[in-house]
Amino acid sequence: MIYLMAWRNIWRNPTRSRVVILAIALGIWAALFMSGFATGMMRNYIQNAITNVVSHIQIHHPEYQADNNVRYTIPGADSLRKTLLAIPEVKAVSVRTLVNGMIASSQTARGVQVKAITPGEEATVGLSADKIVEGDFFAEDRKNNLLMSKKLADRLHVALRSKVVLTFQDLGGNITSAAFRITGLYAIGDEPFEEGHVFVRRQDLNRLLVADLTDSLNVEQHLAHEIALLLSTPDQVDPVQAELQKRLPGLRIETYREVAPDLRLYESQVQSVSWVYLIVIMLALVFGIINTMLMTVLERYKELGMLMAIGMNKWRVFRMIMLETLFLSLAGAPLGLLLGWGTITFLGHRGLDLSRFSDALAQFGMSNVVYFAVPQETYAQAVFILVCTAFLASLYPAWKAIRLRPVEAIRRI
Amino acid sequence: MGVIHVEGVSKIYNPDKIPVTALQGVSLTIEAGEFTAIVGPSGSGKTTLLNVIGGLDRPTSGRVAVGGHEITGLSDNELIDFRKEHIGFVFQAYNLIPVLTARENVSFVMLLQNRPAAEREARTQELLAAVGLEDQIDKRPAELSGGQQQRVAVARALAPKPAFILADEPTANLDSHSASNLLDIMARLNEEEGVTFLFSTHDQRVIDRARRVITLVDGAIARDEYRS
Ligand SMILES: Nc1ncnc2c1ncn2[C@@H]1O[C@H](COP(=O)(O)OP(=O)(O)OP(=O)(O)O)[C@@H](O)[C@H]1O
Ligand SMILES: [Mg+2]
Repeated sequence: MIYLMAWRNIWRNPTRSRVVILAIALGIWAALFMSGFATGMMRNYIQNAITNVVSHIQIHHPEYQADNNVRYTIPGADSLRKTLLAIPEVKAVSVRTLVNGMIASSQTARGVQVKAITPGEEATVGLSADKIVEGDFFAEDRKNNLLMSKKLADRLHVALRSKVVLTFQDLGGNITSAAFRITGLYAIGDEPFEEGHVFVRRQDLNRLLVADLTDSLNVEQHLAHEIALLLSTPDQVDPVQAELQKRLPGLRIETYREVAPDLRLYESQVQSVSWVYLIVIMLALVFGIINTMLMTVLERYKELGMLMAIGMNKWRVFRMIMLETLFLSLAGAPLGLLLGWGTITFLGHRGLDLSRFSDALAQFGMSNVVYFAVPQETYAQAVFILVCTAFLASLYPAWKAIRLRPVEAIRRI
Repeated sequence: MGVIHVEGVSKIYNPDKIPVTALQGVSLTIEAGEFTAIVGPSGSGKTTLLNVIGGLDRPTSGRVAVGGHEITGLSDNELIDFRKEHIGFVFQAYNLIPVLTARENVSFVMLLQNRPAAEREARTQELLAAVGLEDQIDKRPAELSGGQQQRVAVARALAPKPAFILADEPTANLDSHSASNLLDIMARLNEEEGVTFLFSTHDQRVIDRARRVITLVDGAIARDEYRS
């Protein structure tokens, strides 16, 4: 009957209770909204990083990452590509030859990494025609075409169709140079990447790398430093990596979290961020709840005195006030969760377009539309934190209630 | 030794600041089955005496025993439990829990005593019938008149089968018709069921119904007379 009393007591002052319930519902909604936004931003950022830069899984020679020396090639990379494509989870594979070198215009020079790719392969994994803002994506069939970002072109004071010279060390250890013509300018919205990477055809770079070698033709076909994989099921990254590592013990297989540790950090940060939102909002609500319950206790001074006079002991009074606080607090939870879930589902579908507010997102490698999302656990987190909050908020009013002395309360009758 | 035994009880409020002597050296014994009124001018100590007997307040000196148990040395929580088992209270107002129906109010103390549901239900019906409210059992206090509320309070006080019922000015807020109706019910319960009543009052018509009248003046017993 204490439960029944506690529940009915909440509705003795329906306006006041409704205000508290609504405040709690809105608090939960706001926390879910912010978590949904943060998680959506995170996924957006990671998704962009994966498609533009790191892909899901990268394969290298075990020494390559430490040294970046052109000698650390992947043996039989092109036949390996076919094997990889046969794995059901693998959606696309791009084989790349990489060199670090110097790019020079008539006015200035900069260090860059040259990513040498086969356009047909690369378009399915990373850079593709839709990222080209001027010119085209290796459309003409001439030798030594090059793609660079608009940013880098500005830095080098060059434009489409300008000539630039790449200088790098070949497989024989000699410094070699070659002229390339800029046939396309790309933009992926990731400044650091854009300033440091240019794209050429793999056959062009391979030819230059092996020019000094006697059996050059044989080597040329095999030459590759990186294989980038895109999966059809991104949540399978870890099992696929483990499987590949077992099959290819001589190579280093890395997921995007290993290639770009900042992505993993970001992922884990966003998960704790929703705790922070919830806790901050609940902390603000605690005072509202305590205040309401204190008012309730003071208003019912006589009644509580009477209850203690006729034999309701302090523990039971304490429990009744605690229950009232819990009911009052939790009554708003379903509404808040439903609102939050609805908002996140809606904005997860339709996305929230932020381009009106700024293009700043693009500069950090993100798209302007954020698709809201929260992990399932967030809803449970919200309930958990609310219960803790309500429990804490109930202690003081309940303690206040049992401190009253029945004689004094009854005297006032 | 009677059901209530008060011996040399004094009560001084605010002993440190401005002391107010509410009771001085009160001794009395109430036997089972009495129907006794405590009367006296305002401020004479009636409420204080009832509170001390009911274990709601502690005497400054002296002893109070109820049903042979000395209650003077009990802790707050022990007193609450003692009241729950042995004493029925009817106050001037605010007797009932507003969010509970008449039926729930009457079963409430039995619930605190962990009595089985069937017993609670049966006794609640019986008691509400005894106070003439069998057709109001599912109404909340706000839906009942002042007199009806006091009758529910009497039923509620009787529910745990207490040794006696203490009632501090139970009729003070009632019109004369309701007051005499309440008195009829109390008197009948006293005669037919042997329930012991100890009540305070200002009302001459209520005093006339009592079979023993104890008069307090300035915190001391000035007269103690039995009527036939
Ligand atoms: N909590 C208190 N603090 C100080 N003095 C008190 C307190 N309660 C009562 N008194 C004083 O004790 C004396 C006895 O009061 P009590 O209420 O027992 O009288 P009463 O006979 O019930 O009066 P009434 O007929 O007006 O109800 C009075 O002088 C009163 O002012
Ligand atoms: Mg009084």
